[in-house]
Amino acid sequence: MRISELPGIGTRYEIESPKGDKVAVIFLETGEIELYVLEAGAEKPSVTRLTPEEARRVGSVLTGALLTIEHEDVEVSFSDISDLRINIHVCPVTKGMVGKSIEDLAIRKRTGVTIIALSRRGRSIISPPPDTVFEEGDLIVVIGEREQIKACAREILGQA
Amino acid sequence: MTFLVDLAVVTVSCLALGLASKYLRQAAIPAYVIAGIILGKGGFGLITSYDFVEWLGKIGVILLMFYIGHEFNLKGIREPGRLFAGCTDFGVNFIAGLSLGLVIGLSLLEAFILASAVYISSSAIVISSLIENKKLIYPETETVVWLMVFEDIILAILLVVLTSIMAGSLAMIPVSLATTLLLIVFILFLIRMLSNFISPLFERDDEIPILLIFALIFGFSALAHLMSVSEVIVAFFLGSALSGVKSFKMLLGATISFKNLFLTIFFFSFGMLFQFQFATLFSAYFVLALLALITLSIFGKFVSGAIIGKRLHRSLETGLRVGAYMTPRGEFSIVLLAVVGPGIPELLFSLVVAYVIILSIIGSGFAKYSDRIAKAIIGGINK
Repeated sequence: MRISELPGIGTRYEIESPKGDKVAVIFLETGEIELYVLEAGAEKPSVTRLTPEEARRVGSVLTGALLTIEHEDVEVSFSDISDLRINIHVCPVTKGMVGKSIEDLAIRKRTGVTIIALSRRGRSIISPPPDTVFEEGDLIVVIGEREQIKACAREILGQA
Repeated sequence: MTFLVDLAVVTVSCLALGLASKYLRQAAIPAYVIAGIILGKGGFGLITSYDFVEWLGKIGVILLMFYIGHEFNLKGIREPGRLFAGCTDFGVNFIAGLSLGLVIGLSLLEAFILASAVYISSSAIVISSLIENKKLIYPETETVVWLMVFEDIILAILLVVLTSIMAGSLAMIPVSLATTLLLIVFILFLIRMLSNFISPLFERDDEIPILLIFALIFGFSALAHLMSVSEVIVAFFLGSALSGVKSFKMLLGATISFKNLFLTIFFFSFGMLFQFQFATLFSAYFVLALLALITLSIFGKFVSGAIIGKRLHRSLETGLRVGAYMTPRGEFSIVLLAVVGPGIPELLFSLVVAYVIILSIIGSGFAKYSDRIAKAIIGGINK
């Protein structure tokens, strides 16, 4: 990818496919985002202008976030740190977890995710300590990269 | 309360003509100047206090230069390709303007002013037409926007030189040049020293940040005025000094809004003071000089564009497109004239005003049809 600074306009990110098609994303100084597609051999590009909100939606479709991860999932990205994407995942504790503590399950060690909150009988515990023992019906909120969330789903929650 | 009437005349007329020009997909700058010409001294004379409108306009110029200074990027421009492009653009077009000025019988200083106005393209028109005409994906866009940055730097230098020369007698030139440079260094140094103190003030969410900006702008402009230094140069360097202060970026949006408003008033005020005389305007000398000027400056940008395109993009056609994009002249030529000010003869003044109005309109067309124009020229050469 080629990144170029265009003073007075914004920043351009450009990708050329092996076929010669070009895609450029331009972050305008106004805060809006323009998406250019120039097919190989075409005279004129197709252009659309997106609000940051729309661009984020398009972006998360392209990264596959919406396709692979289930409903209770939020991906947070920051305009200043383009490569940082944090996923926040909410799930109920499973049978195998009940009666064990966060420490017992070594959740962070095994998967990399961190439990940032726990919802128990309608009340929330923010940053539960490691000795917190899970009870049936608890909802946990975990944070991590997409791969780590997947690992958590596999290892801890026992989902395929 | 007549100032309210003046304000209403200015804003309503600019709004109407500005809106019309946007619907016609034309550059708005000439529209504002024309609004001023029609309603000002040379036209219906609807303004009661020309001084008042002129003062507001001056704020616009200060804010424009402040904004340009903030964008000033010495690091990016040092890349050899960009330097080559910038120097070619300056060399070809400045010399073209200077020679024509001397040929039509201007003094060396007047020819220098004319050359400056001819050389400098309109960043506002060029950049908005690049966006509107969907050119941002092409590699030459980068070349063009960096050319604009280079031109800004040259503009700052030209302004320093010209205001020093215009300051008075020959003996005074080194003195005023030295004062200017001293003040610039002082500002850069002071802002850097105070950076840690200023930065948190910009982060507040009350009226303090915008007050601070204007206190700095007006404070240093006043200081410049007292020291007989051009306030626009000071504003330029203040902007570039503040761009180094971390949290300043958060305020840019607000500054741009003020700049847009006052700059529009400036274009109006520039037009309103223009008292064109039909006798001058339709004399054979004037018309010929104007036509020569227009032809030469279009030709000049195509030549510099072609050289730049050959060297940087290995393509004459790309170069010709660069030339077409660079054709519009606008705000900077007018600012230059306004800053250099009352010392210049009526004829040169009228010449540049007519020139800028015509070239800003023709230029937007050139930028729009750059592809076709470049192809047509290539076709013509190959025949």
